[in-house]
Amino acid sequence: MRISLHIVLFIVLGLAGCSQNESKESELALIKKTDPNPVLIDENTKGNLDLVANIKEAIASYKEIYDVAVVKGKKETLVVYKVKHLQRFHMKKIEKKIKEKLEKKFPDEKFTVSSDYKIFLEAVKLNEKMQKLDYSEKKANKRLKEIIKLKQEMA
Amino acid sequence: MADKKKKKMTPAQQKYQGLQQKHELKRPILKNCLRAFWVGGLICTIGQAVTYFYIYFFNFTEQTAGNPTVATMVFFSMLLTGFGVYDHLGQYAGAGSAVPVTGFGNAVISAAIEHRTEGFVLGVGGNMFKLAGSVILFGVFSAFVVALIKTILIQWGVL
Repeated sequence: MRISLHIVLFIVLGLAGCSQNESKESELALIKKTDPNPVLIDENTKGNLDLVANIKEAIASYKEIYDVAVVKGKKETLVVYKVKHLQRFHMKKIEKKIKEKLEKKFPDEKFTVSSDYKIFLEAVKLNEKMQKLDYSEKKANKRLKEIIKLKQEMA
Repeated sequence: MADKKKKKMTPAQQKYQGLQQKHELKRPILKNCLRAFWVGGLICTIGQAVTYFYIYFFNFTEQTAGNPTVATMVFFSMLLTGFGVYDHLGQYAGAGSAVPVTGFGNAVISAAIEHRTEGFVLGVGGNMFKLAGSVILFGVFSAFVVALIKTILIQWGVL
């Protein structure tokens, strides 16, 4: 029993200890609501800023969802959300509904929609990196492409 | 069925059974259920923490993190069985420790330990999957059947 207690402690301390370099928001993104601001990796025009804000607003209005992250790149827009616990039985239906709504409301945009925690976490991390001055737009677009590729990977 | 059996018994046997029932300890079903619930829940919570660990520190998504999590949990339970800890846990929690995937690791290693004296090939190798073999067989077979049904449904355009 004592050994198993040590193993549990090892996991918990390992999880807590390895995360010193990350900032607070992405640290807790898996377990609590973070509500990140929409990210724009495209021309910083008023139209684009309004667009990402509108996308976020359109998705956040669903009652099955509680946290939305939007990342708009040059070609694609990534929309990630967290589904409320009891609504997780209808994940596929919700994803289909959201994708249809977005494509109807914003026909010029190419959307990648996901409810995966990992994709959400990466979107929040990208948001934090974007706030640093030395993080270039090129790097951000490359990272966004990698995140979208990760989303499309199957088990 | 029980009455039928009772009718076949001699009066002495019936008397003995009555006496035995009187002294038999009652199974504490509620206590067992509670123990199984909290230990099983704790194992699943640790599993969830391991999943988050793989999602957070490695390039695993929610869909892909399941595989390394299962492997890790089975490995943990194998180690604990080897150290003799899981036996005590099994005695305390019953199904709570046997039903999660950790029970599989326990079944493999406990059979291996039991037959170690018979040699590594015929003892450990031959008996290691004595209990877990049926789990693997029916698991693989049912996965094959489900995959076949899914493939057919996708081909027909239902899914």
